[in-house]
Amino acid sequence: MEPSVDITELYAAHRLSLVRLAVLLVDDLASAEDVVQDAFAALARRPDAVKDPSKALAYLRVSVVNTARSALRRRRTARAYSPPHDLSPPSPEDTAVLAEEHREVIAALRRLAPRQREVLVLRYWSNLSEAEIAHALRISQGTVKSTASRALVALENAMQATTATASGKEER
Amino acid sequence: MNPHHPATGLDERLRAALAARADLVRPEDLAPLAPVVPLRPRWRTPLLLLAAAAAVLLVLGLVLDGLGRDPRSDDVAPSPDDRVELELPADVGRDWEADEYSTPARLDLDGDGTDEKVVFLGEPSPQLDGRVRMQTTLSGSGEEAWGVTDIETTIVNALDPVDADGDGDQELVLYYDDFANGGFPLVFDLREGLLVQAVVDAPELLVRGQVPAPGGGEYYDMVRVHDYWVEDGTLWSSRSVNAYAAGTRTMTLIKPLVTVHDAWTWRLTEDGLLEPVDQGCIRHDIARDSRTPCEADSADDLPAVTEVAAESIGIGESAPVEGGFPFTVRLRAAADPRLVVEVGQGRAFELGLDVVDPRVLTTQPVSVFSDGPSVVLTSASDPGYVRVVHSDGERLRELEPTGEVALTGDASQRTWLTADGTLVTAVAGEGDTWRLWFWQWVGREEMAALPGTTVCFDDPADPATLRHC
Repeated sequence: MEPSVDITELYAAHRLSLVRLAVLLVDDLASAEDVVQDAFAALARRPDAVKDPSKALAYLRVSVVNTARSALRRRRTARAYSPPHDLSPPSPEDTAVLAEEHREVIAALRRLAPRQREVLVLRYWSNLSEAEIAHALRISQGTVKSTASRALVALENAMQATTATASGKEER
Repeated sequence: MNPHHPATGLDERLRAALAARADLVRPEDLAPLAPVVPLRPRWRTPLLLLAAAAAVLLVLGLVLDGLGRDPRSDDVAPSPDDRVELELPADVGRDWEADEYSTPARLDLDGDGTDEKVVFLGEPSPQLDGRVRMQTTLSGSGEEAWGVTDIETTIVNALDPVDADGDGDQELVLYYDDFANGGFPLVFDLREGLLVQAVVDAPELLVRGQVPAPGGGEYYDMVRVHDYWVEDGTLWSSRSVNAYAAGTRTMTLIKPLVTVHDAWTWRLTEDGLLEPVDQGCIRHDIARDSRTPCEADSADDLPAVTEVAAESIGIGESAPVEGGFPFTVRLRAAADPRLVVEVGQGRAFELGLDVVDPRVLTTQPVSVFSDGPSVVLTSASDPGYVRVVHSDGERLRELEPTGEVALTGDASQRTWLTADGTLVTAVAGEGDTWRLWFWQWVGREEMAALPGTTVCFDDPADPATLRHC
């Protein structure tokens, strides 16, 4: 069967936005690029998987989220067996130029569970609806709702904890 | 705004932070566009068993949902690797027959110390590209074991077996060959009477062939060389540390005989995942067919370009030219000098030369052209003059240099012909480095240089002083 989508065109059109999505999920640019490359490679292996070109971006977005989750899992596994300085993916350089107020939020985001983080990124950066997030993450809309709610609470707590830690250090 | 969560300062703050972080990734930060090359063919699709189960679920779904909806793109997106999904073979092909050119594999699948004989029954197909049923009788239990695979040929010869999980029995290794991409191995483990294909983690590391790397030009791609092999019951793979120029008009790969590679062995987990284990650096000598661990300073060998072809003839002289298509070359004195190539049986070709003090090297530039007579012309009074003349079967022609490097000689660029017929140009780079370029025939009347490694010279005028930088 002839593939219905032109992967080269998709690559040119969506690579940047997908890398941006990935970097919000895996923190560093190099991993984000790998994640996106893997997503396109997966599509290239199954060019007939997406028959409707208008749905290709949705397919790739799901692929990026899933691949990013796998990358984070591998990173955690590697950390368990390697000295921390060998692998420090949340690259400080990547976020060093962020304004302080944003840096605090991004740092707190990293402390959330992967699912919570995915829901927040898809909701507040990708601007997906609950239904779209549910489909992307293969969870129910109710779970999206509850996860988002808990994630915001957890994010706030993480930010407060970060602030408290920073204050403590300043006081010392 | 999230309709199910009250707008708060946190919402807006989160939205702004995400946008700011994402915007830090600019187009110019991305690595150069790399072609998305499918390294896996269609066999790496979801499990046959799950496919069968999916068919059942589809029927149930139709019953439960009434009319089925169109599949969403999200439905077919890859899943996270939470678990290893093994492809269980369908019980097909009992009546297929082995191709006469297939060779049964002999290996100890059940670990009882006695080899099983695995036969390969091919699905009937006009192009001999059907599926293959692997079938054996286990020596330990007398039970039948089988598996099914699709390697796009029914002529099957297994590689040496491996014990990738270290459990004392052996796994069957077949391979998929692909002229374009090189191919990859497939490992089958005996699991409850079935030969089940292991799922490969990081499949991009378990391939053979030339895999595109960043860079390239009109006449070449940059590639890394991948390989896999079985050694002492272990599956290995490697990827060249450096990338090399592969001609797009020819099959040339500009690579030295000894190269360094990153290497992995492959371990089979209990879940059926074939995962790479980093083995560091190895040094591959293609001439000796040996692979050894790298030393601390291991690097690709320098290209064999230090021995210069120095023999040449001048006006009024002739000489046989060997090392390729045999012929005799002569420089005839006339009002204008003429190059004469005699190919035997009274056949001769002539070309008028527009150069002062012409010389013809008596070594044939076989790296450029080897399907007929070819010579390198120089000038005794013009060190920068270099031309390649070849016969197109009817007459002599000068090959027109094209591409990124000019065929000239000066302080920043030196060209020489090696004793084995390789035409090389060294182009000065930063500091005292030089990039070597290797001339290739790229069209009927054109030649272009493909990039090689960067080197240094103790004396840039003397190729014999070539060294690593």
